[in-house]
Amino acid sequence: MKTTLQRAATALLLTLGCNSTPAPPLAVSPTDAGSVTSRPTQITPTPVTQIPGHELIAQDRAPKEPPRLMPAETLIRSYIALFGGLSPQALQTRLRGTTSDNLFDTWADYLSALGVPDYAVDIPRAPQTNALMLAAFERIGVALCERAVQNDLRGALAADRVLFRFDLPTPTRALTDDEFGARFDVLHRRVLGYPAALAPEGRIPRFRTLYRDAVTRHADAGARMFNGPEAGWASVCEGLVRHPEFHLY
Amino acid sequence: MDSRRRTFLKVLGGTAAAGFASQPLLRAFADPPVASDEFFVLIHAAGGWDVTLSLDPRNERRGIIEPGSTDTIDTAPIRLWRNAPLDADTNTFEMVRPAGSSLRLGPAIGNLADIADRLTIINGLAMNTVSHADGTFFAATGRHLAGGKPVAASIDTMLANEFGRESLLPTVSVGYPSTYVGNELDARVSPLRVSSVDTLSKMLARSNVNTTIADRQAVTALLSEESRELAENSWYRDEIEGFGLQFQALPRMLSPDVQSIFNAGALAMAQPGLFPSPGLRFQGRAGVNCAFAVEAMKRNLVRCVSFSSNSHDTHTNNYRSQPLIQQELFDTIASLVRALDAAPHPTRVGRRLADHTHILVVSDFCRTPQINLTMGRDHYPNGSALVISPKFVGNTSFGRADDDQLLPAIAGTFADGTRAVAPPDLLATFVAAFGVNPRKYLRDGDVIRSLLRA
Repeated sequence: MKTTLQRAATALLLTLGCNSTPAPPLAVSPTDAGSVTSRPTQITPTPVTQIPGHELIAQDRAPKEPPRLMPAETLIRSYIALFGGLSPQALQTRLRGTTSDNLFDTWADYLSALGVPDYAVDIPRAPQTNALMLAAFERIGVALCERAVQNDLRGALAADRVLFRFDLPTPTRALTDDEFGARFDVLHRRVLGYPAALAPEGRIPRFRTLYRDAVTRHADAGARMFNGPEAGWASVCEGLVRHPEFHLY
Repeated sequence: MDSRRRTFLKVLGGTAAAGFASQPLLRAFADPPVASDEFFVLIHAAGGWDVTLSLDPRNERRGIIEPGSTDTIDTAPIRLWRNAPLDADTNTFEMVRPAGSSLRLGPAIGNLADIADRLTIINGLAMNTVSHADGTFFAATGRHLAGGKPVAASIDTMLANEFGRESLLPTVSVGYPSTYVGNELDARVSPLRVSSVDTLSKMLARSNVNTTIADRQAVTALLSEESRELAENSWYRDEIEGFGLQFQALPRMLSPDVQSIFNAGALAMAQPGLFPSPGLRFQGRAGVNCAFAVEAMKRNLVRCVSFSSNSHDTHTNNYRSQPLIQQELFDTIASLVRALDAAPHPTRVGRRLADHTHILVVSDFCRTPQINLTMGRDHYPNGSALVISPKFVGNTSFGRADDDQLLPAIAGTFADGTRAVAPPDLLATFVAAFGVNPRKYLRDGDVIRSLLRA
């Protein structure tokens, strides 16, 4: 439902987007992307007072809050920034595409499900996720990542890419664990903001399995479908933009 | 609070993903609590209906009352219209007296006349307003607007807060005046407001052009596993566990069975009785909303469905269609009741959905007893409402409007003395029928015990 407030929210997003400038390309390649390639040595906990220079520093004993859900406006702004810095309208046009593949509708169609408040009728901001919101995350994530594969991974040189800032072996062959890890790290830093090596231990193997299973499933894909690596990287991208760490702060 | 929320998250997984009940974690939570066996359909007859043609019929000139007549109404499509002489060249209608019922109804009542034994009618509601917005929210919340803003929760939110916290969709509100105001409300029951149920289908639609359902399910499974691992390493686990359980519920949400309830075409296939042919002129969307309610409730996905009908606001000669607008709405409600009769209850074996579904129909106010200079009727601070519920005494009319002016008349003795019945009384009675203390949500209003079954 496009209420007045939601229209206003859309207009605000359009304005914000128009003022945005695309993120400068990162000079990240698979080789230097792996500058943090292993977990750091575990540090034994030490009372803060025993750390030199911290003897007189007051400790923060304020009550801490559990993770909170990112406001929907921030979430949409993040999508826009990560996927090319276009205006919301331009990104919407790109996501809708020229084909009839029904990947995306309009931002306004998703505002309610994403939890944008409507103060005109006292509908507050959604403070936590629900099943429909996660369905909307998936719908949007699929559109963002599949369009990124079509426009970014397929089309541009590695150095000019916005999201997939790495090259793929030519001719196509299976990636080794290290080769996958380096490329996954590029995406992990870009979307979640920190090196994959610092994530929980199971994450890299889990995403590697996801990637390889998708490659296998698409080994005999038809001409219209993504080929193996494309499907693999689309799945990895979706896994990151739908990740709980992406939605909570 | 934390334990309550954690319990919810677990129950959500059990309820929403009943298909996963074979998984040990969720099996223990798959059975919803007893209180969640009840379902609710809240309908707002938008624009202010003319009760003199249906719920509080008037077929004689008396005081300032000018009854509907062949001069002012298109009577041809009104099936129950039977001419009765009004004056030399004008006819009004004969009262509709359903067999075996003491109710007197107007011809616009349509097919509801066939189930008069299940109707509870409240007439002479003191609306005390002729403003659409004020009347709308007064009827739905029991409070007038303050500074143009609603100041209380709407009835669908109240009911969802009591009975729908564990539902996948506590309230789906299709243009209903749903509000979420009050300190007693759980964050989960904030109404999901949409312009039409089809809107939700966009959220659930998926393209298989580039990737497949297997690709997407693999991502969802990975994220469920990621959530589990993150939760294990977190001090505050609830939010992340919530993600994990909702990821597990997502495949069911996206299953063709569930998607079909958000698709008008599929709903028409599932509930053909709610889509008459030829199609309805005014209330076609009401059929979609009612079909959605039945199908969603059959699957135990939703606790409350609330929606607004097409407008009854007929100030000019569009008043000629007023009885047809009402007849189509009442026909649709009658078809809804029939569909609920035929639908099995999702959790009560051997029971019908109709045994646990409760329908409340209200409007902003009613229309003037006089015909205005443009052959229509304007706003009037009286009202009527309709309840169809196994908790309420059927074949009953409560309250009245006076014979000469159609204004609310004294209906009985309340805590604050003798007076007319008002929307807060109706809402208080409705929530009390399910054992809810009305004072939890309503500042005003008395419970009318005589309307409730023992």
